[in-house]
Amino acid sequence: MGKEECKTMLDALNKVTACYRHLVIALGSTSDSQNLREELKKTRKKAQELAVANRTKLTTLLKDKTISKDDRAEYERLWVLFSSSMELLEVDMKRSLEIGQDFPLKVPTRHLIQTGMTGSTNAVAARAMSVQNMKYEADSNIDTADLRDLQTEITQVSQMMEEMEMKVQVAPWAVVAKQEAGAELKSNMSVGNSSVGVISICEEEPKDDEGGGGREGGSGSIGAVVVFFVIVAVALVLGYLVVNM
Amino acid sequence: MTINTLAKGGLQPEQMSCFRKMEKVLVAMQDPDMGMKMRNQRLLITVIPHAMTGHDIITWLIQKYHICEEEALHLGEMLVKYGYIYPLKEPRCLVLRPDESPYRFQTPYFWTSTRWPASELDYAIYLAKKNIRKQGELVEYEKERYSLLHKRINHTWDFVVMQAREQLRASKQRRKADRIVLECQEQAYWLINRPPPGVQNMLDWGLERPNNFSTRVPLIETSRRALGRNRVKSSICLEGFVKYSEQYQNHDPIMQGCLPSNPWISDDIAYWTMNSEIVPVPTRLRVERWSFSFMELLSDAMGRREFMTYLEKEFSAENLHFWQECEEIRHGESSKIIEKVEDVYKNFLAPGAARWVNIDSKTMDKTLEGIKRPHRFVMDDAQMHIYFLMKKDSYPRYLKSDLYKNMLAKAVVPQETKKSVFPFMRRQRHSSPSPAQAGAPAAEEDGRAGTNSAAGSHF
Repeated sequence: MGKEECKTMLDALNKVTACYRHLVIALGSTSDSQNLREELKKTRKKAQELAVANRTKLTTLLKDKTISKDDRAEYERLWVLFSSSMELLEVDMKRSLEIGQDFPLKVPTRHLIQTGMTGSTNAVAARAMSVQNMKYEADSNIDTADLRDLQTEITQVSQMMEEMEMKVQVAPWAVVAKQEAGAELKSNMSVGNSSVGVISICEEEPKDDEGGGGREGGSGSIGAVVVFFVIVAVALVLGYLVVNM
Repeated sequence: MTINTLAKGGLQPEQMSCFRKMEKVLVAMQDPDMGMKMRNQRLLITVIPHAMTGHDIITWLIQKYHICEEEALHLGEMLVKYGYIYPLKEPRCLVLRPDESPYRFQTPYFWTSTRWPASELDYAIYLAKKNIRKQGELVEYEKERYSLLHKRINHTWDFVVMQAREQLRASKQRRKADRIVLECQEQAYWLINRPPPGVQNMLDWGLERPNNFSTRVPLIETSRRALGRNRVKSSICLEGFVKYSEQYQNHDPIMQGCLPSNPWISDDIAYWTMNSEIVPVPTRLRVERWSFSFMELLSDAMGRREFMTYLEKEFSAENLHFWQECEEIRHGESSKIIEKVEDVYKNFLAPGAARWVNIDSKTMDKTLEGIKRPHRFVMDDAQMHIYFLMKKDSYPRYLKSDLYKNMLAKAVVPQETKKSVFPFMRRQRHSSPSPAQAGAPAAEEDGRAGTNSAAGSHF
C-alpha cells in the first residue's frame, strides 16, 4: 500500500539524514580525511535520490482528492516528517560547504582542529548507504572538486523545498504527532547501557548513580581480574597438591 | 517546519566578526610546529588524545600574541565562554583555570555562530537523545524544556523521536573513544546555546545588538561618510560645556533647589504657576536667562513680547514679525504653507511692502525664486539672515536698554516656603502609584498623591 511504501522510504531518508549529520560533525576535525569527503558526497547523493523519490510519492498521494480524511491526515503527517528531514539536510549541506571551504585538505600544512576524534567514519557511511563496506575510488582532489557539485546541489535542494511549499497545501502546525512525550524511552533500543557505562567522566554533577556507573565499569574489570587470579591460585594449589600426592 | 524568514534570497546573517577572530585564534593553535602542546586524556580504560591544560593555553597565548598574563587569561576565558574550547573535568563550569585542568577543542560544526543559530528542532532532538541515553533521568530544567518543546513543536515530534533514535544508532558505529568525545562536544554546545537557568546567556546581546550594516552598505562608503563628518576638538567643546554648566548652575532646580519650593516634594505648585508662559511679573532667574543667549530670549513667550516692545520703539519690529511668521511656516500645518508664504511675501518681501525687511540681494533673489515653488523651508535663508541681524544689532542694545533693566528690577524673587515647625504637620510624601497598577483600587492617600502628581505632570 502507498502508506507502507512511504513509511519505509521516509525511514530510509531519516537514516541517511542522521548519518549525514554525523559525518558533517566530523568535518574539519582530526577525523577529516579524503575518505570522509567521499563519504559525504556519496551520502549526500543518496539523500537526494531518496528525497526526490519521497517527494514524488507524497505529492501524488496528497494531490489525490479521493482519499479519506484519516488517510489525508496520515499523509500530512508524513509530509511534515519529510519536510523536517529536508530542512535538516539543507542546513547540513550548507554547513558542510562552509566548513569544507574553510578546511581544505590538499594544502602543505593542514590545520584540522584537534578535537580528540581520531577514528574513521566509514561504518557510519556504510550504514547510510546500506552496504557492508565502503569502497573509496575518488581522486585526491575531491575536497575542492566536490565543493562545486555541492553548491549546485544546495541550490537544487532549496528550489525543491520552495516548490514543495508552493505546490502542496499542507498546514504543518495542524498536524498532530502520533508519539507522545517520552515515547523514545519505550523503544527496544539498547543504546542506553552501551554508551553510558564509562562515559560518566564528562557528564554533569557527580550524581551517585553516575559515579556508581563509572565505578561499576571500573570495578567490573577489576573484579574480573581478581576472579582470574583467584582461579589461577586455586589451580596452582590443586596442581601442587596433585603433584605432591 | 520552521518558518524560514531568510529564505528566498533574503540576507543571511553574517558571522559576527568577534567569532571570526576567535576562529582564527583556534586555527592558529592547531599549527603542527607553533601550535598548542597536546596531551592525552586518560579515562578508565580509554585514552583520548588532544587534551590540553589551562596553563598551556595561557602560555601559548602569551607567547603567540606577546600579551601579558592578565590579557591572556581574559582571552582564554572568552574562548571558553563562547564554546570554542570546553572543559573536560567540570563541563558546566565554563571558566578557564590557569592550572592543570584539562580542556579540548570544539569541532567546527559546533562552533558558536550567528550565521547558523541553534534551532528548536535540534535542541529537541538533543534532549530526546539524552532522554534515551539516560533512561529518562534528565536534569530538572531539561525536563521542563523538553515538555515545553513537546508542546511547541508538537507537529514534528514524530520526526524528533525518529531522528534521535537514528542519530544514536549512527554514533554506535564509531568506536568508544569517539563516542565519548561526541557526547562531550554536543553537551558543551548546548550548554552554550541553551544555558541552564541562572547562567548568563553568552549570545544575548541585550540592547546593543550587533550592527549588521556592513553587509548592506559597503564598508568603504561608511568610512568615507565618517571622514566627512564635522569634528570639534574635545578641548574646545569641553570648554563650552563647562561654561554652559557654570552659567546655568544657578538656574537648575536640581542643582540649586527651586524657590518657593519643589512641587514634587511639597505638593505646592506655586513654582509652576510663577513660571508659566505669561505672568504679570516674571521671576528674576527667568529674566536673567534672557541675557544668556538670543535663543533663550526668543523661546520665552514673555521675552519675545518684551523684545517686540523694544523693537517697536526702535522702528525695527518688522524683523521680529518676519521671523515669527517664518517660524509659523516651518512648524505649521502643511496645508497652510502656500497661503502663509503668500502672506509673508506680500507683507515683508514684495517691493513697497508695508513691513519690508532688509535682506541682502543674493538671499532675496534666492528666496523669490523659491517662492515660485513654496515648501516648508523656502524661507530658511531669509529667516537666518534676519535672525543674525537681530542678534548682532538689536539684541545687545536691548540688554543695555532701560526696558530690560527695569524688567530685571521689577522681577520677583519668590520666598522660600517656611518648613512647618511641627514635623507631623508636613504633608507625607507618597510615591505615585506605578502605572502598571492602574487597575488596582487606590486608597485615599494614594489617590490624592496620584492626582497631585498627575496635575503636576500637566505642566
